[in-house]
This record gives sequence, structure tokens and C-alpha cells, in this order.
Amino acid sequence: MMEKPTLKSSLKSLFYIAPMLLIVGTFNLYPIVQSFLMSLYQDYNIFTGEVGGYGFSNFVEILQDPKFILAIRNTFIFVLGVVPISIVISLTIAVLLTKIEALSSFFRSIYFLPFVTSTVAISIVWSWIYHSRFGLLNYGLGLLGVAPIEFLEDPDYAMLALVIMAVWKGLGFNIILFLVGLNNIDANYYSAAKIDGAKGFQRFTNITVPLLGPTIFLVSVMGVINSFKVFDEVFALFQSRPGPAGSAMTVVYYIFQKFYQENQYAVAAAAGIVLFLIILVVTLIQMGFNKKFVHY
Amino acid sequence: MEQINRKSTPLLASILKRKKEKADLDSGASQNISTRVAAYVLLGLGSFTMLIPFLWMVSTSLKSPAEAVAMPPVWIPQVFRIENFIEAFEVAPFGRYFLNSVLITALSTLGELLTTILAAFAFAKLKFYGKNLLFTILIATMMVPGELLIIPNYLTISNMGLINTYAAMIIPYVASVFSVFMLKQNFESIPNELYYAAKVDGSNDFRFLWTILVPLSKSAIVAVAILKIIGSWNAFMWPLIVTNETALRPLPVGLLAFTTEAGTHYQLLMAASAIVIAPMILIYLFLQRYIIMGVAKSGLKG
Amino acid sequence: MQVRFNDVTMAYGDKAVLQNINFTIPEGKLVSILGPSGCGKSTTLMLISGLTFPSNGQIYFGDKEVTKQDAVKRKVGMVFQNYALYPHLSVLENIMFPLKMEKVPKKQRRERAMELATLVQIEDHVDKKPKQLSGGQQQRVAIARALAKEPSILLMDEPLSNLDARLRIEMREEIHRIQQETGVTTVFVTHDQEEALSISDEVMVLNEGAIQQNSDPITLYRKPKNRFVAQFLGTPVINTIDTVAHPEVLDRLALPENTKRTVTMIGLRAEDLVTTTNQNEALFEGTVSHVARVGKDVTVHIKNQYQEVVATDLGVIPQEETDIYLTAQMKDIHLFDQNGETVEFEAVALA
Repeated sequence: MMEKPTLKSSLKSLFYIAPMLLIVGTFNLYPIVQSFLMSLYQDYNIFTGEVGGYGFSNFVEILQDPKFILAIRNTFIFVLGVVPISIVISLTIAVLLTKIEALSSFFRSIYFLPFVTSTVAISIVWSWIYHSRFGLLNYGLGLLGVAPIEFLEDPDYAMLALVIMAVWKGLGFNIILFLVGLNNIDANYYSAAKIDGAKGFQRFTNITVPLLGPTIFLVSVMGVINSFKVFDEVFALFQSRPGPAGSAMTVVYYIFQKFYQENQYAVAAAAGIVLFLIILVVTLIQMGFNKKFVHY
Repeated sequence: MEQINRKSTPLLASILKRKKEKADLDSGASQNISTRVAAYVLLGLGSFTMLIPFLWMVSTSLKSPAEAVAMPPVWIPQVFRIENFIEAFEVAPFGRYFLNSVLITALSTLGELLTTILAAFAFAKLKFYGKNLLFTILIATMMVPGELLIIPNYLTISNMGLINTYAAMIIPYVASVFSVFMLKQNFESIPNELYYAAKVDGSNDFRFLWTILVPLSKSAIVAVAILKIIGSWNAFMWPLIVTNETALRPLPVGLLAFTTEAGTHYQLLMAASAIVIAPMILIYLFLQRYIIMGVAKSGLKG
Repeated sequence: MQVRFNDVTMAYGDKAVLQNINFTIPEGKLVSILGPSGCGKSTTLMLISGLTFPSNGQIYFGDKEVTKQDAVKRKVGMVFQNYALYPHLSVLENIMFPLKMEKVPKKQRRERAMELATLVQIEDHVDKKPKQLSGGQQQRVAIARALAKEPSILLMDEPLSNLDARLRIEMREEIHRIQQETGVTTVFVTHDQEEALSISDEVMVLNEGAIQQNSDPITLYRKPKNRFVAQFLGTPVINTIDTVAHPEVLDRLALPENTKRTVTMIGLRAEDLVTTTNQNEALFEGTVSHVARVGKDVTVHIKNQYQEVVATDLGVIPQEETDIYLTAQMKDIHLFDQNGETVEFEAVALA
């Protein structure tokens, strides 16, 4: 619009944004502030809502809690397992999809299918696949001469089971983003590279990957943020437990447990703030990395 | 419908089908056939692997208890036991869960569309004090993990006395910053001249929004709506926290509770999982283009 | 290296873009492919580069057939219309890229790239990214990159079309200079006749997927093989007079009778028209309708009830609204038959 805002136009606008603002304010903005405050509560009485004082004792408590440290460790393992593997596989598939004519959209549809399914439901299906005695995976491994693995009962394999399923579920989303990115690369660069003598794989490493930089960055940032929040998968895969012997405890699971099962609201809020700070720092690091390597 | 399809074509066409030109140049007719055969083989194997969990779910859901735990596994049961589904509905109130899910999904989607369309219009076409600041604050909230908000939100809902109500599962979700952002982009792409022309013709803002802007943005709105439907249908943690009455459970929460009830009856568990998954797959099969467009757009904007 | 096309046809589905093309590009020359858009000139270039492959026919580099060879293996250099400089690489890295693909040692790569940067006069900007360069500078980088691996053939696809008018003339001279200095066989695709005529050793005119004429620029202008070439080249467009509608014009020409029978149209270039006082010599009679002066150029429009002609070198500029007779020397007159082909003739004494 050309004209400047007036009192009248602002009031009118308020009418349009008020419903959204009311909800977002109550359930998105206020709780952000409130979370920070709660994380500082001391001697908080959940029944009366009385706060004894403010301080950092909740943070001290969780940082001394081996379960929280394990949760952080597991969450990082999960992120470092899922994000790179998923990027490599989905980029490969996206590139392959651009190499074929027929069936390309058919294949794409299949890869995307897990995205629309309920995490809880599909995790239950996976827990059946992972079943130590009757599971399809162990049957397959048996054919290859591998002894049955107790994916869901053995603490050493719990995270692996989680990572495999998460990669499977997230591929389609990344593939779509990569297809968009690949499409934005001007075909002329490939012609030029061919003329310059670059063979297939050289074109991939010298043209596709660098020019896909912004997309790779985007996919990795979104992947990292989403992976840090892993919860539903754990809850459903391990029948409402954080994995065998707590071995698949994640940060969000920890928050859930402190809050929902142990009623330690302030401690849970502090864990939430730590999660937020971790995501923030990792994202900032990625952005710094992006600035350094992906600018042109 | 035809018109929407055509409207959404440019972006889609670029994602769904590569430009002919690019096909010629990079995977060109020249390129040795072996590359292409390899691509087909890899993609075929890959997509089969992707499908295994679904196939296994459907297969198990139709088996007899003995077949379900047979080793080596049976892929195609001797008799398709549709009774498993009936039994699942009998053992646990999946009918009720289903209706709950439909109700919650429908109301939060409609609610979100309403608040989002109004707000996106104001951000895209109206002038008001503090618009940019407000929008920046809203965008910033998207960076905060939703899990952080669960505790204060629980207290809010509980203070409102809404624990164990449908409202608890709906109200916090009838607005979404992400959707406002998506629709604002779309509304902005519609020329202001149309807005002025409508004003000159004596149409007010509200009528302009619903009779011109919304129909013109149909595909974006459908995309936003479907992403919302999927998210809402599959939501788990929040409904789990704010309800403890069986009668109010949506499907994912009910399904998880069922895992303890079903015990080792995997054929029933898989039938129940299929009940939860199937509606979204149907929506996906029919409205795939919108979902993919929504995802692609969300990716483009970050 | 010499490039030879033998009966090359290029078709997309039913549509033939090139139809049985035969030509030879001699070694060490700068050859332009000239034609209107959609004539198949870019396709011809793509076929030489190996980015596309003919539906039929053979392509030879020297004595070697390369028809099925991929662009990666043909070792040609190419300058793209939009330059296609790699945006993530610096100018120097862009020039070094083909050498990197050839696995030339890094030190040699740098040296060679610097040499080329100097040749195209971009040596002061080697550390910049393409985005930081002007159009003309990008053009220079593109040429340097194309020359990096010492290609036997340099291809240029409308290389000047993205530059403004002044820069276009400057770069045209540059391309000519660089071609002269390197002696590389160069194929230059353009739709701009002035560009083609000013820098090429030979010009190949294409229209509707067929070669219209392939000769040096002067012959092309002086002795067009057909009406298309005659009309496509030259500004203003050649004046044509329909001799079927105006048979008296033929009578005023010193032509053998059998030639006269095949001619259906004559072409007269604007600069060849002269005024005459003798009506019996007049090939066109009309009234001066407009005299346009642009700088030192004077263009005279002469009109009669049937058509208008344009003359640019009339010597004495007539007044507007005066009636004049126009004629031309026999050697400057172009004759076309009903198929638009040029009719060769020998002048005879007027009967």
C-alpha cells in the first residue's frame, strides 16, 4: 500500500489479526517468557502455584543428573546419526530421480509416503519389524547369517533402531527440498562443465554440490532442529519407556518425564531452556559455517 | 478444480517434472543407458525398502495369530482375516477414537484457516503501526521448539479448567505462525491493483478478502490446510498430556494405549495401526500435489 | 581443426530443426552462423559441441568422426550466451576449471590461467567472483575459460547479445583480436548481420533448418544466392520490385530473353539506386515522400501507387514531393526467379 498507517487503518487491521494474536500470544509468546521464568523457580509448589524464589538451582540439578547428561548424549548421537545419513541418502535419491523420465514421480511418491503417516502408528509397526524373535529384520539378518539382535531390548542397539527408523521417515521431506534445489541449478552450468571436460561424478562434486549449498544448509538446519526434538518415536517404539534401561532417553523425553510423570515443572522447564539453547547454538554454528563456505 | 491445478502448475511442474531442457542436457539421450538402468534399479530397490513397513503392516493385519508369528515369515496370509479389524474395534473403542480425531482435526483446521487467512490478509495488504516489528516477533517464535511451551501451556489450559476436554486439544492449535507466513507470501504475490480495483468498485476489505483473495489463493490455502490436517491427525504428545479419559483420546493416543491391551496380538496391533495411518495415506494419494507444494514452499522460505 | 557436417539432420519428434545439412568449417578461420531466431543455428553449435547429437548424418573433426562422442570428450571450447560462469568459483578458478578436469598440476594451471587472463585483459580481477564483474568482464572470463584447454575449436553462442551496444562493438573487436592471436578455429553464432559480416572470414546463413549460403562476407552481400539472403542482409532491407506485376521494368533491362522469362522479381539495394532523367532507364518512378537525415546519413523514401523504395546514396538529395526516376547499374541488380533463387545473367545490349 502506498499510504501510511493511520489510527483507523491500524484499528481495522487489529480486527483481522486479533484472533490469531490472541491464540499465538497465549500459547506461543506467553509460554516462551513463562518457560524462562519457570526454569528459575525455586521451591515451586505445583498445587498452590507458590514460588519460593528465583535462582539457577534447577539448572544445577539437571546438569548433575546423569539421566539428563545421558539424554543430551543420546540426543546428539541421534542428531549426528540421522542428519548426515539422511542428507546423503536423500540427495542421492533426488539426483537419481532427475536422471530418469518414466516413473520418476511414482518413485518420489513412495519415498514421501512415510512423511504423512502417524509417528506413533508407524513406530509401532517398526517395533514389530524390530521384534527379536518374530521380527522381519532379524529374519532378514538371519538369511545373511547374522544372529538375531534384540534391537528394542539391548541398550547397545536402541539408538541404532531409533536412527534407522527416523532416517526412513524423514527421507521424503528432504528429497522434495533437494529436488527443488536441483531444479534451481541452471542447466547451462552442466553444459559448461561438460564442455570443460567434467565427467558425471566430477559434475556432481564440482557443480551440483556447491550450487546446492543453500539447500544442503537448509535441509541440515531443519533436520537438526527436528531431530533434537525427538520424542514420539522413542515413546512408541519402546512401549512408553525411554528405551531399554533408559538407554534411549532423549532431552524431550526427559522433559516429558520430569513434567508429566514426576511433576517437577521447574526442572522440566530448565531442561527445555537447555534444549532451546543447544538448538540455538548449533543453528548459529551452522549459519557461521554456511557463511564461510556457501557464499557466492 | 481445473483452475487450481493450472495455477499451481509452474512451481509443481518444476518439482514434479524436470524441464525438458535439463533432461536433454544432463541425463541426455546420449548418456549411456547403463547409467539410467542403474538409476532405475537403485530407485526401485530403494522404494521397495521404503514400502516394506507398510506392506508388512498390511500383511500382518490380515493374518491369523499363528501366521503372524510364523517363521519364516508369511507375506500373503492363506485367508485374509478382515475380522482382525473388527476385533480391534471391539477390543478398544477405535470408533470413538476415530471420531475424536476427525472432530479435533476438522475443528483445529477450520479454526486455523480462519485466523490465518484474516491475519495473513492484514500483514499482506493492510497498513498498521508496528506491523514489521510484530511480524518479526512472530517469525522469531518459530525458532523456539514447541516442546518448550508444553509446560506453561498445560498450566494455562489447566487454569482455564479445560483439562480433559476437546477444547484443550483444539484451542492452542487454531492459529499457526507458519501458516500465516505461508499465506502472507501468497497474498502478497497477488497484485495490489486488484485490491484497488475492488475498492474503486465499492467492495470493502472483508468482501475483497473472501471473494477475490481467497479464491485466487486456493492452492496455497489447500496446501496449508492439508499440512495442518496431517499434523493434527498425527499429534501425540499434547493430547496425551491434556487428556486422561479414554473417551476423549484421539487415535495416536488410543493406539498407544492399545499396545498394552493387545499384548502380543500383533495382527490386531497392525490392524489398529493401519486404521490410524490409512486416512492420511488416502488424503495423500488424492491431494499429493498440494502436500508436496506446501513442503517445497516451506523449504523455499526456510 | 576442420569441422565437417555430412548430411546432418536434427529432429525433435516430428519437427526437423536441421534438414540434411552439409558444410565444412576450414581450420583456423572465424566462421559465423547467421540466421533469424529458430533457424537452427544454436542447434548447429550444440551439435558441434557434442551437447546434443544428430538424428542422422555424421560429424567430422578433421578426419575423425565424432558423431557419437560426448561433449566431455570432444575438447571444444564454448562461450555461452549467458556465459555460464560458475558462480561459486573465482575468476581464476573458473579459468582453471577445465585444466583441473584434465588433472593439470596446480602450478601449471595457475600459470596458464594467468596467461589467459592477461590475453583477455581481465588479469586485475582474477580473485573476484563472477557476480562482481560487469557483463563485458564476464564475457572475457568466459572466453578465457573456453580457451584454457587449448581447444581445437572455439564455439560462441550469441556471445554479445547480453551486452549494450557500445560494449558489443568493443567485444566484437576483442573476439576478432583473440581469434587472430590464437588462430583457433572459431564458430560464432549470431542473429546480428553486422556482427557476422564485420568479424568473420566466412558466414553461413541458415534459415528454417537449411543452409542458404556459405561464403565470405563480401560475396554474401554482393552475390546473395537467393532472396532470403538478399533480404536478410543489409540495412535498410533491399528494395524489391515484382516484375510480374510490372513487366515494363524488365524491358528496360539489358537481359537475354530467356533470362527475362524466369525472372519474377528484381532486388535493388538502397545504396545502389541512382537518379536518372531518362524515363526509359527508370526501374522505379515515384514521388519523394520523405527525406530522413540521421547525422551524415540521408535516407530518401520514394513512393508510387504500388509501393515504396528507399535510397541512401543519391548524391544530389531531391526535394520532398518531387517526382524522380530511379535506376541502377546492371552489375548491382539482383534477379530472382519464382522460387526466390538468384538468376545469374549476362547483360546484353539493349534491343
